Amino acid sequence: MEKLTVDADGKITIPPEVIQKRGLHPGDELALVEAPEGLLVYQGGVDDKTSAWWNRLDDGQRLLAETEARRYESLSDKERDSIWNEEADSIEAEAESDEIDLPTK
Amino acid sequence: MTRSTFQPNSVLLDKGVIRRVYERRVRLAFGKPPTVLQIEAANSYAYVATIANHLYITEQTSNILKRRTQIFAAPLLAETRPLKKARYLRRWARRLTEFAFSSEDAIILAYGSFGLDVESRTVGVEAIITTDNRLAEHYERRHAEIKNRFDDMIVNLPEPYARLTLPQVATTATVLTFV
Repeated sequence: MEKLTVDADGKITIPPEVIQKRGLHPGDELALVEAPEGLLVYQGGVDDKTSAWWNRLDDGQRLLAETEARRYESLSDKERDSIWNEEADSIEAEAESDEIDLPTK
Repeated sequence: MTRSTFQPNSVLLDKGVIRRVYERRVRLAFGKPPTVLQIEAANSYAYVATIANHLYITEQTSNILKRRTQIFAAPLLAETRPLKKARYLRRWARRLTEFAFSSEDAIILAYGSFGLDVESRTVGVEAIITTDNRLAEHYERRHAEIKNRFDDMIVNLPEPYARLTLPQVATTATVLTFV
């Protein structure tokens, strides 16, 4: 854990050894995440899972992914929200017929 | 919650997490920088996958993914299992709305206790990961009352339900503090 100090201009300086260790270069972007525990300065880049997924794709699949990505990115926020809100669950008692009873031992 | 108290064996990822992980991959394929929320969700997902034995999603999230482009959705479906609704899930969700949770939030929380893994015949998860800070804060703030209400409900249910528990709820941002 490194301690960073906010200067009079509201800027923080990352220690040179951290910059070197993390391979940061001028212009690199860092994400500032507001967690309940405080602020996290997070280095971007691709996480292991996303990276593994991407590396498994061959050239043809990457081309297909790019085409599909372009289509998805062209959707409005409302259209994307609509996709992810399909089939919302009801909490009403009338909907309970699909619930599964646990077996008694 | 600390790194030492957050060691869940089973985790339910809410729809918002899966959506952002999906969209992070869309951004990579498109060659566009991801948003902070997408980075947050993808990194949390990658971390949780290393510590939990079982990653779950709800039936709704599973059905949405099945209709999405499989080049993005199939790996997420392969790495997770959908939870079914055990009996009393909606009853508990309705109780949770009395604590001012929305129906959608109440369903997710109820899956945490009454979500059934048909394959392993286990019920409930140890932790729910969400992108919704308000949900996590509200759950934490009212936890003692929720626990009392939960205990009052399950004590009157048949035997297999009496052993059910409440899950921990953590945000993707909180998970990153443990990485």
